[in-house]
Amino acid sequence: MIDLKSVHLGYSDTPILKDINLHIEKGEFVSIIGLSGAGKSTLLMSIIGNIRVLQGNYQVFDYDLCAMNKKALRELRSRIGFIFQSYNLVNRLSVLHNVMSGMLKNIPVGRSLIKLYSNEEHDKAYEYMQVVGIEQLAMKRCDELSGGQRQRVAIARALAQEPDILLADEPVAALDPKSAARVMDVLLKVNETYGVTVIANLHHLDFARDYCNRILGVSSQTISFNGSPDQLFDHDMEAIYKNDPVGMASINIATVDNVKTRENNNMKKAA
Amino acid sequence: MTPVTIQITPDQLKKSASPFQWHTILILCLLVFTYSVSWYDTGMSVGSLIDGMGYMNSYIVGNPDIEGSSFFPPSLIVSDIGLYIKAMFETVEMAVVALFLSIAVGFPLSFLASRNILKILIPGRTVLAVVVRRVLYGCATLMANVFRSINEIVWALLFVSAVGLGPMAGILALAIHTAGVLCKLLSEGNEAIDPGPVEALTATGASFPKIIVYAVLPQTMPHFISMVLYRFESDVRSASILGFVGAGGVGFYLFDKVRAFENGDVTTIIIIIVITVWLIDRLSAIIRKNFI
Repeated sequence: MIDLKSVHLGYSDTPILKDINLHIEKGEFVSIIGLSGAGKSTLLMSIIGNIRVLQGNYQVFDYDLCAMNKKALRELRSRIGFIFQSYNLVNRLSVLHNVMSGMLKNIPVGRSLIKLYSNEEHDKAYEYMQVVGIEQLAMKRCDELSGGQRQRVAIARALAQEPDILLADEPVAALDPKSAARVMDVLLKVNETYGVTVIANLHHLDFARDYCNRILGVSSQTISFNGSPDQLFDHDMEAIYKNDPVGMASINIATVDNVKTRENNNMKKAA
Repeated sequence: MTPVTIQITPDQLKKSASPFQWHTILILCLLVFTYSVSWYDTGMSVGSLIDGMGYMNSYIVGNPDIEGSSFFPPSLIVSDIGLYIKAMFETVEMAVVALFLSIAVGFPLSFLASRNILKILIPGRTVLAVVVRRVLYGCATLMANVFRSINEIVWALLFVSAVGLGPMAGILALAIHTAGVLCKLLSEGNEAIDPGPVEALTATGASFPKIIVYAVLPQTMPHFISMVLYRFESDVRSASILGFVGAGGVGFYLFDKVRAFENGDVTTIIIIIVITVWLIDRLSAIIRKNFI
């Protein structure tokens, strides 16, 4: 589904990520962890063709990202849903219209411009709103919703695209723990119900361990860890968080320490 | 990677947070200087105004020997009032037609005069894309500048020479000037939108018209309604004086009565204009409240 061989990625000629080798299969739930500025978002954005491929072989579905024209890029993007940390909803529109905007690729221009939807499209939107638990808020304006509700609207919008891959850029970073867990539950449900491949950037290591079946650690401009949550040991986390280009290490190491403490406690309990 | 450390001392912090920065003081000095020079060069004088208050009073009171030369009381001849109200109605109609024409021109032009919208229309960093974007932006802003920098009266004079005396010249004059103003105001609104929803819809592979309808227009609509209503009110006021150059409406009667020193009628016409503008302002407030 996604296949990278010796890929260099960057916004200009200077690579941000180097020598990336990665293969992701359909139906996986993958999290990307690493320091702020390590290149997690770069890796995620590259999947929808927003980042230049400077070197290597980059395949998403059957598309070669090294040689994409505009039409192919739009086709590729229509098969990939994207969830943003800041939701990126149109706050003045209702929940329903925001969800419908995810279906735009399949609605003829004439009908979409006057916002005239078929019964089938309404049914689909209702189904996706039900999946994320916001169907009762359908007619509310998005600026009346809480952060967690907005993020679930964003997920429903991404689902309305009927994507094969769902990318989430720090989807729970701005949410309280309860809302964050609910959003992660929804992502897992989407992954399990529809078989959609989910790739999420996460700062919460416990979420990465609890929800994902694969973790990618980004550090030193490359993927330094690629394995299941069970294979992620202390030395791997220390390697992921070892460089501190912008003074964030103390925060992340604290998170690592919390995880270590919790693991130790769990081990003690188990013993 | 070597960490970059910037040392800031408490003294530097206090200095940088002080309201008495050299650039703030410089800007204030420049403002005071500009205002003073402008005041002096234009011959402004408070004394002259105070001295001239008596003459102004005489003008308003009028000459007792000339009937109707006083502004008060206003003329209350019913047939005349009916004529002025009809002319005012024609003025409002001129503003309505002009407003719709100006939206038809200014609204699409505002997209070409917005750098962020052009980036959606013509994405990419290739030389060709950048050049096309700059050319379109330059042409659109130039057109809007020409439209709005020429006053309605001047446009009216030009159109009177083309289509003759009457409301049509006034409508065209208002429409072209307002198109330029709307283009400027709406493009500023377009450039201030949150790029997030545009980014989200672009990521779904939506085409340009769909992005505009779903991500741009819902964000700019309050600004659009506000600006269009403001311009309508301005157009009614402007249309009221376009009659001075023969472009129809209540302005024709206003100019006629001013020239004939029939100041009682002038007051009646001014009262009708003020009431009309006040009614439009109330209507605008109701529309804004319901849409924004």
